[in-house]
Amino acid sequence: MGQLVPSMAPPPAAQKSQRRRDRLLRLLGALALLAPLGGCTLGRELPNVLHLGVEVNPDEKIDAELRADTLQRLGGLEASYRQLQPNTRFQDSLYPEQQLEWEIKHRNRAGLGPDLLLLSGDMALRLLAAGVTAPFPQTEVDLNQFDPQVLDRLRNPSGDLAGLPLLVQTQLACFNRRRLPVAPATLEQLLDTSAKGHPVGLSMEAYNLFWTAGSFGAIDAIDTAAAGRQPSGAQQQAIERWLTWLQNANNQQRVTFYASQSSAEAEFREGKVDWFPCRSSAIPRLRKALGDGLGMAPLPSGEGGNASPINKLRVLALGTNVSRSSRKRALAFSRFSVNPLSQRNLTLGSQVALPANRFVRVPLSSSATLRAMVTSAEQGRQTNTLMALTHSNDPRLAEIQTLLTTLVFGEVPPNKAGQSLVAILRNRP
Amino acid sequence: MRELLLELLGWLGYLERPAVLLQLAVAIGLMVLRRFAARRNWLRQLRPRAYTPLALVVLAASCLLLAQLGLPYGISGQLGVLWLGWYALDLLHPLLQRRLGAETARQLDSRLLRPAYLLLAALMLISSLDSISDLAVAPLGSVLGVPVDAGRLFNAALITYLVLMGSGPPAAAVAWLVQRGLASSDGSRKAMELMLRYTVVGLGLMGVAVHLGINSTALIAVAGGLSVGLGFGIKEIFSNFVSGIWLLFEGSVRPGEVLMLDGDPCEVRSLGLRATLLWRDRDNAELLIPNQTFFTEAATTFTASDRMRRSQVSIGAAYHNNPAEVIALLEATALKVARVLPQPAPKALLLNYGDSAINYSLRFWIANPMDNVGICSEVNQAIWQAFRDNSIEIPFPQHVEYSMQWPPEQHQPNKFTQQQP
Repeated sequence: MGQLVPSMAPPPAAQKSQRRRDRLLRLLGALALLAPLGGCTLGRELPNVLHLGVEVNPDEKIDAELRADTLQRLGGLEASYRQLQPNTRFQDSLYPEQQLEWEIKHRNRAGLGPDLLLLSGDMALRLLAAGVTAPFPQTEVDLNQFDPQVLDRLRNPSGDLAGLPLLVQTQLACFNRRRLPVAPATLEQLLDTSAKGHPVGLSMEAYNLFWTAGSFGAIDAIDTAAAGRQPSGAQQQAIERWLTWLQNANNQQRVTFYASQSSAEAEFREGKVDWFPCRSSAIPRLRKALGDGLGMAPLPSGEGGNASPINKLRVLALGTNVSRSSRKRALAFSRFSVNPLSQRNLTLGSQVALPANRFVRVPLSSSATLRAMVTSAEQGRQTNTLMALTHSNDPRLAEIQTLLTTLVFGEVPPNKAGQSLVAILRNRP
Repeated sequence: MRELLLELLGWLGYLERPAVLLQLAVAIGLMVLRRFAARRNWLRQLRPRAYTPLALVVLAASCLLLAQLGLPYGISGQLGVLWLGWYALDLLHPLLQRRLGAETARQLDSRLLRPAYLLLAALMLISSLDSISDLAVAPLGSVLGVPVDAGRLFNAALITYLVLMGSGPPAAAVAWLVQRGLASSDGSRKAMELMLRYTVVGLGLMGVAVHLGINSTALIAVAGGLSVGLGFGIKEIFSNFVSGIWLLFEGSVRPGEVLMLDGDPCEVRSLGLRATLLWRDRDNAELLIPNQTFFTEAATTFTASDRMRRSQVSIGAAYHNNPAEVIALLEATALKVARVLPQPAPKALLLNYGDSAINYSLRFWIANPMDNVGICSEVNQAIWQAFRDNSIEIPFPQHVEYSMQWPPEQHQPNKFTQQQP
């Protein structure tokens, strides 16, 4: 066999032509890589991709279901846009809220940041401050469509706009119709419902529990403290009434405080809980689990007023390291997304969020879900001042979370907790 | 699968960004340049190996320049770090060779270190292009009715690979500890190592099935399908596998055993899933024998209960030498050969009376059956020397040629014959 090897090698002439071919291939490879730098037309042959990064709420876990839901919701909007721009392709990537800033910074460093980001308003401001996103161009035509108060919340101290409002995700009451025909309208009725044997679930997260404050009229007191002022005696009493109710609720046999929103949701889907405050973004998942048995209603009011849910504004923010053409695509898609027709389709198609465009009328008569969401959006206006005074990264929120946990588990009395809460809020960072 | 492919296709969209192209051109250009420079030895004062560090330094400087200019540099930086890591693996290889031996180092390098490095590199690059946590839940299809996503499939493949490739060293370590504790033989240690490895692989594969969420009903269905498959297509493979396991438990064919194959002693090197690897001393050949051969056919072993072999050489001595003296001399001679065991004592026998010699046989014991041929040679040499020293003749038949005349009446007897009385 050893003697065969030399005879199997190609003749010198063939070797020479092989070498020439190799050299030519290498040259072509190098040219293919460098051609676009020289203004070659290769760019036109590449797909017109719009890279869209989507922030996932901290109370949601990225799994196949969430991915499918999100892509389906965005898919409708993207498909409509593709009717106008058939050459545009979308690449949607989901990022957990906790890692989003780091991930986008990391990708921006490589020049691979998304063209457009779908974020919460708070996150948009944070990323703009960190230089991870670019300010949205402020044209009158664009901005006229939104509530000026909402836009103000999206501006940084220099007046730059962190993003274009797209939709509002609300907090509602979700209940199992098969076990609980009518949702409780007040907090008193809620405790009665639990006393009658219907398990009630509440999330321990301050952000998801804050709706109860409005029902006791404690919002003014909290706003005053968050602004750095001392609440009046009556306001302090409202805070204490709220905290007392929270502590009492935990003493009820069938009221359970869950460590996270996702655990409460999981128990509800498994039928172990009959009523819990849900996020509108969770509706598709809940509907899949409960079908027609899923009921939605506004959150219960109380003796001090209406519930005060914290609703999430979702905005479209621009990436920083993009080409001129991809920036153009991102702006075109953003404007398309907020036009009244798209907003209406987005709302009616998914029924998980409300339009951010103030000129879009939501057809309330056609859907109880939309009615509940609109009520929630109206109730949520109570928290606008607080939202303007705090942000998602505010160190006071972590302290408030610890305080509420110790209160609910009876470690601290409501009056002392009320004083601590005011002290925490007044200590502005 | 379609979603994943679309996701991958979407990455091409980044190529329209000049900053991305610039970084790729810098990094890939330097890699190509280094190759050309090293091959043609452009810098004569440099050794070929020194071109890579030089190119890495230039790449690092390019990244710094890009950063100074406020341009993205992450891709060039990442490619540089990956290149540096690959180069470090090249440098590590000789060190591993010195510590672990060439074969072990090669296996460690090609089966564990480099695949693990490539995997990390791929993950690092993908995390720059996409959201890993999102990509991991991209659906790929379903296996036995269970939806499988990219993350699960990746984990399953990774666990399978690690179990197959990484179970060897821990199994060897446990077997070594057991051998130390029980003072068992090397063959038992190797057998235990293999059985431990099979157990880990089996458990690992079951773990992968559980991780994928495949339920027991589906596994039973697979087993049913396999049983049909076993009956037709993979009968031989399965038969060899089961034979291998059986032989291990039985202990008759274990690594280190010596078996006779076509008249040659062969040492068992390893017992694989399909075949047993044997080493033949005569020509240093390695033989791959299907396991079921040992399971179904008779085999001669010298190492079943002990490793001793009784060997023998045959010798003829002249009729005029006293057989008792010859036998005593033969036994004494065998004892003088170093590799012949003193106990059981060598035994010489007068076998028969041959045409030209009395035939003797010298039987003796040796410790290693693989040394039989060499020891027989030493014994034969010692006998020759002993017979010479003691004037014992080793007779052999002699042929005498003479010519005849035709017709036979004219034939004259040879002179030598005429002189005989």
